[in-house]
Amino acid sequence: MAQNVTNVSQTEEVSSTRRVIAASSVGTLIEWYDFYIFGTLAKIISEQFFPKDNPTAALLATLATFAAGFVIRPFGALFFGRLGDLIGRKYTFLVTLVIMGGSTFAIGLVPGYKTIGFFAPAIVFALRLLQGLALGGEYGGAATYVAEHSPEGKRGFWTSFIQTTATLGLFLALGVILIVRQTLTVPVFEDWGWRIPFIVSAFLVGVSIFIRLKMSESPMFVKMKKEGKTSANPLAESFKKKDNLKMVLIALLGATAGQGVVWYTGQFYALSFLQNACNIEFEQSNTIILIALVLGTPFFIVFGALSDKIGRKYIMMAGMLIAVIAYRPIYTMMYNEADLKQKTEIVEQTKVEVKEAVKGTDTITTTVTKKTFTDGTTFKETVKSTIPLDPVKKAELAAKDKLKPEKKKAVILPQNLYYKMIGYVFIQVIFVTMVYGPIAAFLVEIFPTRIRYTSMSLPYHIGNGVFGGLVPLISTRLVEATRPAPGLPPADPLAGLWYPILIASVSFVIGMLYISNKTNNMDVE
Amino acid sequence: MSAIKKLFGILWSLMGVGIIPLVILQAMKEIAAKPSEENWIFWSIVIVVLMPIIAFSLITFGVFALKGEYDVLE
Repeated sequence: MAQNVTNVSQTEEVSSTRRVIAASSVGTLIEWYDFYIFGTLAKIISEQFFPKDNPTAALLATLATFAAGFVIRPFGALFFGRLGDLIGRKYTFLVTLVIMGGSTFAIGLVPGYKTIGFFAPAIVFALRLLQGLALGGEYGGAATYVAEHSPEGKRGFWTSFIQTTATLGLFLALGVILIVRQTLTVPVFEDWGWRIPFIVSAFLVGVSIFIRLKMSESPMFVKMKKEGKTSANPLAESFKKKDNLKMVLIALLGATAGQGVVWYTGQFYALSFLQNACNIEFEQSNTIILIALVLGTPFFIVFGALSDKIGRKYIMMAGMLIAVIAYRPIYTMMYNEADLKQKTEIVEQTKVEVKEAVKGTDTITTTVTKKTFTDGTTFKETVKSTIPLDPVKKAELAAKDKLKPEKKKAVILPQNLYYKMIGYVFIQVIFVTMVYGPIAAFLVEIFPTRIRYTSMSLPYHIGNGVFGGLVPLISTRLVEATRPAPGLPPADPLAGLWYPILIASVSFVIGMLYISNKTNNMDVE
Repeated sequence: MSAIKKLFGILWSLMGVGIIPLVILQAMKEIAAKPSEENWIFWSIVIVVLMPIIAFSLITFGVFALKGEYDVLE
């Protein structure tokens, strides 16, 4: 009889923990989805909301907005972290969800630069900041909430489900974009169809709010509040007390900074590298990332669970070290697989099509060149030049060097090379799962309950948001610096890797020297 | 181990201090060579956001390490 009661009680506990994890994870996943559709559609957004005169400036402006979204995250961490430690986890991360969903939905409705001029980028920028603010408050709340419900010795396993949400959010974002793009056709998608993934967010957030409203407050927070032990000033307690500040610094420099750059390199930089350095066609590059993410995601849970057994430190540090050593060889192989200079062209199969049309006051000439290579790779280059019919206007634009044709390159890999690319990205996703799988449990365990939300959120969002979020901007810059002259290819297309390699190396040394591997034995109370 | 942690503390502090002039000089050099909008945006982000975080955290962390604050975390 007693045995049966124990079994029923254990089953109820597991079922309750599962509900907590599911409800927290769905909300966090949707927040990540909201955040990533912006980054994934960076090119289209730059065309819609920023002046088209200088495509590089437009892209950089978008990346800057992207970075602003990341940079603002630490402020969200402070604002909502404080709130979460004062009034509770549940309502705080419910608010972040509403802000995130509202701003994402609104981005989908903002008229383009052509319609409302400067207001368009200004509004998008403001909404992007709101997204960053909301995300800053979300993750710490979800990780803390799940950890405070998790049984002792299983915290790494249970919180690893929260860790899968960032990758699954990216997966969902890429998936929705690909489906909408294929359903509507490319021109329609680039015209207005890109708005759909933003608008869809309203529905997803609605469902998530409904689920979260049914959740109860974290038991540890409730107990602490009943006993009157909550912090009166979580910010001051977190960052002015030396004993806590030193843990914030070790969490940032020894763990989250390195983890952040490995995370962004393995997913975002990999996608950007496939599209910009390797010129892999849009759908093929996105599906390479998608498949690698699907294959790699279970490893978040594997490494989270493993960290319960052998400790968090060595798994995270091994992930950083292997990434530092392997990045250059992996990216060299990725580059070589797509490098047309290393392939033999079947010249007789080369096709060139030229179309000329008059649109309004301009003559538009489109030249499409299709090449086939002996290994099965195909290459398509579209050159579109727009020349005004009016000779005076034409001379004016020529004087300003604004008659340069638009060029689009697309390399389509044969199946064997496509699978190889998936393999290269998959290896990087494994590094991501090693550094990211155990980190929520690690962060939760080094801070006390009364200031946990505030204290763990800040190093996480500085590490991921600032160090990691700036990977695209700094890496693009490093590659550009090796370009001998405008229009020529960069001398070192892999130069962008030096930033994540440097940050992860420093983080590895600090983590190895100063982080204890015994955190899994620490009491969450 | 404790001595190594303290010794490295000096290194982290020096790195934190050293990064400030290094970044500012590089920014001045690059902006002077090409005062484009791109350059201004990039270096503004680095100087206003990234550099202070790296410098402050490395210096403070280094000082803590030097004082033996992390010796108990074995």
